Amino acid sequence: MRRELDSTDIAIVERLSHDARVSNREIAEALGVTEGTVRARVKRMEEEKLIRITAVTNIDRFRDAALAYIWVEVERSGQTREVARTMATIPELGFVGVMLGRSDILAITMVRNAEHLAEFVHQRISAIAGVRGTQSTLGANFLKHDYRMARIVN
Amino acid sequence: MNDLSARASMRHIDLDAIDQSIIDLLRTDGRMAYRAIARELDIAENTVRARVRRMEDSNTMRVVAVTDIEAAGYGMLLAIGVQVEGRSPEEVARELADIPEVFSVNVVVGSQDIEILVVARDQHDLSQLIGEQLCAITGVRRLTPALAVDVLKNQPDWVPFDAS
Repeated sequence: MRRELDSTDIAIVERLSHDARVSNREIAEALGVTEGTVRARVKRMEEEKLIRITAVTNIDRFRDAALAYIWVEVERSGQTREVARTMATIPELGFVGVMLGRSDILAITMVRNAEHLAEFVHQRISAIAGVRGTQSTLGANFLKHDYRMARIVN
Repeated sequence: MNDLSARASMRHIDLDAIDQSIIDLLRTDGRMAYRAIARELDIAENTVRARVRRMEDSNTMRVVAVTDIEAAGYGMLLAIGVQVEGRSPEEVARELADIPEVFSVNVVVGSQDIEILVVARDQHDLSQLIGEQLCAITGVRRLTPALAVDVLKNQPDWVPFDAS
C-alpha cells in the first residue's frame, strides 16, 4: 500500500497536473512555502512513484486514431499473471489489468482502424503463450480520459 | 476559453522529427531543462522553447504531473460496459464524463454501447457510485462491470484533452 499524499503534496500536484513546466519558485510563491520545500516534495513524490511528470499528447491531433479494448481469456487461470506481465511489456498497450468478471485480462491500445487492430491482436497478443482467445472492441468516440489517474510502475 | 485560444485549439499542426524527439525526452522527464534538451538534440535552446510553446499553444502536447491512483486514495478500479436504451450513446457518455470518478469514457460499437473506467475509494463508495449515480443517468439500461485486481500498467501517453 502506498502512502497517501498530504495537503501540501496535493496542492503542489494540483499545480503540476495542469502545467508541469511551471518553476518551483512560482509554485512556492503561490502556496506560501519555500522553494526548497517544493523541490524536496516533488523529488520525494517522484522517487516514491506517487507521481510522474511526463508529456501527454492529444489524441484528437492524430488522424486515424481509435481506442481499442482487448479482452483476453487465458488457457488456465494459473497463467493469468504471467500473460498479463508479458502484455505489460508491449509498449503500444496503455493499460493492462488482471480482471475479475467479463474476462481474465483487459488491455487498451490505440490503433489506426479495424484492420490495424486485427493485425495487432493476431501478431502481438494471440501469439503469447497461454492466450486462449481474445475479444476486441473498437472505439467510435474517445470522449474522456483523465490523465491524472494512472498506475505508476518501475 | 476566449476566442483566440478556441481558434488556436482548433488548429492542427504537423509534428516533425525534432518535435517528436522533444516529446520523447519530455515523456521520460517532464521537468528536463530546456538547456539540457537543447544539448541532447544538438539544437538551440530558443528552438526548444519555441517548439514546446507551439505544441502547447496548439493543444497538441502538455507536460503534466500524473498521480498514482492508490496515492490519490482510490483502492478500486473497474472497467464497466454500459448498454444504452432510448437515448443516444453520445449523450449518455457526455453525462458519464461529468462524474470525476469516471476517468475514461469511450463510445464503442459492439455488444456494449459505452466502455468506462471508474475508480472508488472503497466498496461503500463503489456501491454508491454504481447504484445511485451511474444507474440514475437517463438511458442507462444495464451495467456490466469487471473489477481490476491487479493493474500492471495504466499509462496512456495519448488522451483526449478537455476544453478547459
